[in-house]
Amino acid sequence: MKLTMFRPFVISSLVVCLALSAVARTRSRYGGALRIETQGDPWLVPDGIARKLVFDGLTRLDDSGVLLPGLAIRWESQNDNHRWQFWLRPGVRFHDGAAMTPAAVAVSLSQSCARQCPWTGLSAVGNSLVFVGDSAMPQLPAELARSMYLVARQHDAAEPSGTGPFRVAKVTNGVVSLAANGDYWQGRPFVDTVQVEGKRSLRDQWLDLSVGRADMVEVPAELLHQAVQDRLMVLASHPTDLLVLSVSSKGALHDDQLRQAIALAVDRSALFNVIFQKEGEPTASLLPADLTGYAFLFPTERDVARAHNYRAGAGTSPLVLTIDHPDASTQLVAERIVLNLREAGLNAQVRPASSQPTADLVLKRIHLEAGDAAAGLDEILEDLGQKIPEETGNPDALYQAERDFLRTYQAIPLLYLPRALAFSERVRDLRLTGDGTPMIAGVSIDGAK
Amino acid sequence: MNLRQKMLAMVALTVMVTVAAVGWTVSLRVRRVFEKIDRERTADFVGQFRRAYQRRADAVALSLDRMAGSEPLMRIAFDLGHGGDPAPYLNRAAALAQEYQLDFLEIVSSDGSIVSSAQWPARFGYKEAAVTGANRMPFLKEEVLPDGSTQIGLFAVHAVRGGEKTVYLVGGTRLDREFLMSLPALAGTQIFLYRSFNAGFDAHGLVGVKGNVGNAAPYQSLINQSRASGQDSNAVVYPSGNLEDSVDVTAIPLKAADGTVMAVLIVANSRRGMVEVQQHIKAIAYGVAGGGILFAIAASLWIAARVSRPIEQLARAAGEVADGRWETRVSVGSHDEVGMLANSFNRMTSQLVEQRERLVQAERVAAWRELARRLAHELNNPLFPLQLTVENLVRSRHLPQEQCDEIFAESAATLMAEIANLKTIVARFSDFSKMPKPQESNLDVREVMQRVLVLFSPTLDQREQPITLKTQIAPDPLMVSADAELLHRALSNLVLNAIDAMPDGGTLTAVAARKGDVVQISISDTGTGLTPEECQRLFTPYYTTKQHGTGLGLAIVQSVVADHHGTITVESIQGSGATFVIELPALPIASEARA
Repeated sequence: MKLTMFRPFVISSLVVCLALSAVARTRSRYGGALRIETQGDPWLVPDGIARKLVFDGLTRLDDSGVLLPGLAIRWESQNDNHRWQFWLRPGVRFHDGAAMTPAAVAVSLSQSCARQCPWTGLSAVGNSLVFVGDSAMPQLPAELARSMYLVARQHDAAEPSGTGPFRVAKVTNGVVSLAANGDYWQGRPFVDTVQVEGKRSLRDQWLDLSVGRADMVEVPAELLHQAVQDRLMVLASHPTDLLVLSVSSKGALHDDQLRQAIALAVDRSALFNVIFQKEGEPTASLLPADLTGYAFLFPTERDVARAHNYRAGAGTSPLVLTIDHPDASTQLVAERIVLNLREAGLNAQVRPASSQPTADLVLKRIHLEAGDAAAGLDEILEDLGQKIPEETGNPDALYQAERDFLRTYQAIPLLYLPRALAFSERVRDLRLTGDGTPMIAGVSIDGAK
Repeated sequence: MNLRQKMLAMVALTVMVTVAAVGWTVSLRVRRVFEKIDRERTADFVGQFRRAYQRRADAVALSLDRMAGSEPLMRIAFDLGHGGDPAPYLNRAAALAQEYQLDFLEIVSSDGSIVSSAQWPARFGYKEAAVTGANRMPFLKEEVLPDGSTQIGLFAVHAVRGGEKTVYLVGGTRLDREFLMSLPALAGTQIFLYRSFNAGFDAHGLVGVKGNVGNAAPYQSLINQSRASGQDSNAVVYPSGNLEDSVDVTAIPLKAADGTVMAVLIVANSRRGMVEVQQHIKAIAYGVAGGGILFAIAASLWIAARVSRPIEQLARAAGEVADGRWETRVSVGSHDEVGMLANSFNRMTSQLVEQRERLVQAERVAAWRELARRLAHELNNPLFPLQLTVENLVRSRHLPQEQCDEIFAESAATLMAEIANLKTIVARFSDFSKMPKPQESNLDVREVMQRVLVLFSPTLDQREQPITLKTQIAPDPLMVSADAELLHRALSNLVLNAIDAMPDGGTLTAVAARKGDVVQISISDTGTGLTPEECQRLFTPYYTTKQHGTGLGLAIVQSVVADHHGTITVESIQGSGATFVIELPALPIASEARA
């Protein structure tokens, strides 16, 4: 009988050991250093990755784009959204030890938006902040989740101090070293340190990832396909970056029909299929389809013949197209648009923005942080320098507002592109927020002790 | 121009003409030699260029060939040939172009659509027409770039078989400054490349090894000519105002496959060497000409000393002899022909002087003979009646006293008359022999003339055959420096002669006027006139055409006129009278005023 029991026992033991080891492998561990590389400046205002790790906002978005409390635990509006009150989370301290007070938060928020704040008045009342506006501010909580409203405490000439999961340990030769904040109000992050090295080219980032010198690197949308082919571990967000052509309504393009001709001439499918290799989605709407559900109502097909008809009245001087924050892909997109316009009989040239302070066309890349359609529209229109409509509370009003604006042809949406990261095998539990920001606080390093 | 100046001019001209001819000939020869060298050098360079061009074309074709055979491209061709998505290959052309050192590269699908373009990545999906010339010889092509500029490149097309479909590689290299730098150029040779895509001339289209040529205008006409004709063209171009900077330019058109001229290669050989040699020759010629002129001056001075000066001396001496100074001599400084000429001249003047002396002597003898003859004739006239009268007196001794007394009285009267006649004759001779020196003073000739005419006017009216007096005397003073009395006597003699020439009456005309710097007095008659022989001898003492008279009147007039530094001439037409003209030096006008 013992012999007959022995085999099952051994097998069971083996199974249990394997299961235990698997469980041990998947459980997050504290410790380790996470090495991140970016092309841009990690301290770039407003959404440099180091800033997002060091500072918190009053509100925040989760990975589904749902608005959650941040430094504010609750909020309510009065007077038809002309007045908002946010109650702060108690017991939160800045990294320098100072308590987070409403006054400090008010100072930080006021500095963030200077004269372009959506509110006209901000005051501390008890442990709360009161926002007052001449116009209604229905999207204020969602707006406060944006990177530009992260709360920082500037004390003398020292580095600004935040309340985020990481604090600044040192900055050496462009490498920002962050240390875990053990007192973080959401709990200590798993990794001990995060090193963020900025201004690294993509080629160098991928090379460092491949040789183990980096744990997390950027993957532009146009290289997602190649990254997958190169067998990198890639995590991509929903389409969060809007590639849009901003069209001036003055000068050579004061005529509506000319602007419409431009809109009809642009070939989104070529941009989507070839340049971005089917990553993201072509769009003729300002808001992504997954936020509104009505993006399909805006046609994306080009009509060169109609564009040709509408271009009557175009002058002989070439239209000037500049690029906001140019890179290789946007340069290619701009040149392709110029070719599209020439097919429609419109003469255009790509020129550096530095040499052309006022341009007829500007190719922009707008990062959509808001998880809410209305807030998203406000965010995009604000970025385009346009007036934010009063009423966008319901889907119909939102659609009307967007449609009315797009019919002025002062903005021609082209593509929605995802944000993506490639990461090494030792990185665990990496997730992205709705706007593609990596949630580093929840990341652990495999093999950390 | 005197002899010395003529000789100077002749020698200088000879030297200059000779030097100019030699200089021009040498300069022409030098230019031809340099031009020949330039042509050879240009031809050599053109040959090298064509070889370099072909090498570059071959290099492009070889690069494409190697690229086509590489594994990455074969995978691409296979993928595309089997209908694969071309999107992933969007950026491949740029990397391949860099790897194979091409300036232009396009990967084109079988339907002619661009899959990837190194020079214009955004042109994916557009058609590339050059694929129709797959696997043909390399060719020139225009390539438009994203910034709107256009470049010319040397292209080749290579077809890559990938399954059922073909993928094309269209690659090339730029024809630009770097291409020029790769060409072998000798010192003094410049190479430019002209590229323009307009019909007109674009000054910014001319580039050299150092970049854009700043001043392209001098090359414009040659470039236009080459573009229009499609043939090599030559000309001399002057890029700046300096002759040394001129260049011999050959324009070589570079054509596309369809024959259109896409670019023009300019080969410019400096003419500095030739120009400098020519200028050197010119400078030497000027120097030699200048030296020649100096030599001519020196030679002329030497010749002057040896030849022209003696001749000038001879000429001056001849002039002096012509003026009457027969005793003039010239110095004999050599024993050559000039010396012989001088000797001959001196002999001639000596002979002239001797002959004049002999002549003077002969004239003196003749004059003495004439005087003796005249004296004998004049004296003989009264002597014969004297002789007869004395003989009558001797004979009357034998006659009665009364007859003797009568004859004595008649004879005494006759003797007295003839003796008075003799005394007159002697007095005239004495007057002529001792003509007084003139006592000159400033006088108005008109006054002397008036006195003479007033003296003789009554005589003219009282004659049986009256003589009409006409006067033409100038209203202004006619001042001369003269002896009034002697001048009166001279004018009186002339008036008397004129009266004597008109026994049957006539017209006596007296004229006095100023002619320049002389006062001219003329006395004219309308008598029978004089023969030319008479005119010549008229002023000879004792020569007379009258039946009676001593013949001294005109001699006295001539003597008076000569003593007053004047001249007297006679003009006569036989049968129409004669005119005696006296010219005396007139006093200056200011002197006349003082007078």
